[in-house]
Amino acid sequence: MASAKGFFTDTTLCIGCKACEVACKQWNQLPDDGFFFTGMSYDNTVQLGASTWRHVAFIERPVALSTQDAGAFSWLFSSDVCKHCARAGCLESCPTGAIIRTEFDSVYVQPDVCNGCGYCVVNCPFGVIDRREDDGRAWKCTLCYDRLREDMTPACAKACPTESIQFGDLEQLRSHAEARVEKLHGDGLHEAYLYGVDKESQPGTEGLNAFFLLLDKPEVYNLPPEPKVPTKGVSGAWASMAVAALAMAGIAVGAVLSKGAGRR
Amino acid sequence: MSTTLYPESVNPVVTNARDVDPYLGTLSGEAGGQIAGPADRHLEKNVQPWERLPEPLVSDPTYYDRPMLKAPVWSWEVPLYYYTGGAAGACLVLGAAAQLDHSGELNRMIRRCHWAGIIGSGIAAVLLIDDLGRPSRFLNMLRVFRPTSPMNMGAWILSGAAPTAIVAGIFLRRRGFWRFVGESSGFASGLFGMGLATYTGVLVGNSAIPVWQASRRILPLLFGASAIASAGSLLNLFSEDAREGRITHMFGTVGRIAEIAATIAMERQASRVPLVGRPLRSGPSGFLWRAATVLTAASLIASLLPKRSRKKQAIAGVLGTAGSLALRYAVHTAGAASARDPRATFHLQRNNSAGEQLRGGKNHDTL
Repeated sequence: MASAKGFFTDTTLCIGCKACEVACKQWNQLPDDGFFFTGMSYDNTVQLGASTWRHVAFIERPVALSTQDAGAFSWLFSSDVCKHCARAGCLESCPTGAIIRTEFDSVYVQPDVCNGCGYCVVNCPFGVIDRREDDGRAWKCTLCYDRLREDMTPACAKACPTESIQFGDLEQLRSHAEARVEKLHGDGLHEAYLYGVDKESQPGTEGLNAFFLLLDKPEVYNLPPEPKVPTKGVSGAWASMAVAALAMAGIAVGAVLSKGAGRR
Repeated sequence: MSTTLYPESVNPVVTNARDVDPYLGTLSGEAGGQIAGPADRHLEKNVQPWERLPEPLVSDPTYYDRPMLKAPVWSWEVPLYYYTGGAAGACLVLGAAAQLDHSGELNRMIRRCHWAGIIGSGIAAVLLIDDLGRPSRFLNMLRVFRPTSPMNMGAWILSGAAPTAIVAGIFLRRRGFWRFVGESSGFASGLFGMGLATYTGVLVGNSAIPVWQASRRILPLLFGASAIASAGSLLNLFSEDAREGRITHMFGTVGRIAEIAATIAMERQASRVPLVGRPLRSGPSGFLWRAATVLTAASLIASLLPKRSRKKQAIAGVLGTAGSLALRYAVHTAGAASARDPRATFHLQRNNSAGEQLRGGKNHDTL
């Protein structure tokens, strides 16, 4: 049995080169998304999607970091990816069982099973998974399942020139990440914190197998501040439905048997 | 599907949106099988060019106001499915309830309800299957039994509702053993109908879309109430005898009142965080939402007018049907609008942890 694997994306090391995006596209043979100029800093990829499994965000903020002497400006890069949540909304909501948990603890969509119902799309609290309309199925990062089976590092982490994307055993990644935060705090970069590193810090997802070191609020990186996997609250909704269904039966029986509607 | 790259060149290269010449390279990667039509069409959905970049807000940041969530990929067929499934389900419930009356006076009504249930769930199934990205794989829905997936439970409910209603329709008027089969099947179809009419509320509420998630406890009640109103309105359109008319009237009236009440409750619940409730108050979804209330109220008033006539009934039925349809489309478009607004999600989640420092971060919250 393989151990749980994941990514630790240390955004303080990212230089915004997009080698991860290219490596991902190339290895997985993802089709292009068209070519588009957005004007959002250097980000023309825009977002994760069915055929974009790594996306480097370029953030320009009129806010100074604590190690900075120069004016109030920060330029932040972050390579976003599927989080492979410990409680995955896509997996739990998938009606066909196409989305599975692999032996590496990653979340994988089986393209030969997916029937394109689109329910995972609204159930991902990070807006990662999407359906490609011309293909009809839902797609997302596989954590390079084919490479992992050959004992290889995922393409993005392999291509990352600064080790901003680190791949490995989750336990090791976590302790390494904690040490990294302490080091940064020691260096005076007090903003550094881990996003989604474990169940305690992100109970809504019970921890992310691909977690991040960030320097600003999660919103700045287009990440939800307190994500909660929708299926964690599904029992309450089922209870509401039971009430509604019983009330409906009561109303129907009442209408049939009531005096007012009965024979006169 | 192959697209031609550089069509003006002397030797046009045929690729597949990957710059991989299929005569020279194989597509065996994880996404090698992903079918890619014209890239521009795919982009249209995701990206609209800006006139100008949004002003960055330091205290309430977003990523260039880009959506954080993916909008639902469901087409116009899905809200119509909610309506059809709801009306069919509530008809089956009323049909099963009418079976409790043994006088024989309601036989026509029972049959009418069963047929509405059979045809309704049949149409619902067609709508649902056609909306799939891969319709031929519909039966994959029944590979698993998964209570955390309302979509999966719905597929089971739908595949139970129509067959039981058909069996009931065939055998209810027989005698002896077969009548018993028909009767039990009718009651079973009523149970499935209860599920069919309300599970879509769970389906919609069980999502990351802020306006839906914030209303997830009310949505099953709203959809259930609307299903009763839809069934009442639908039956209004048939010619009914005096007793049937009174039953339909009572059923529909309670449904319409409950639908309006649930609409108000949902708007209040969602508007606790102003941006979350905004799609219900403004824009096309807000218009549909208001229209639904107005139409349902109009049908309620029409049905309560003292005079008893076919025409009045039909007007109430048409207005009620329009109201229920508008409601389903309002919920659908509100979800799409809500997904486009990243601040709706951010505010909802920050409100949920009011006063509580975000775990893990020490100083980032005070930036």
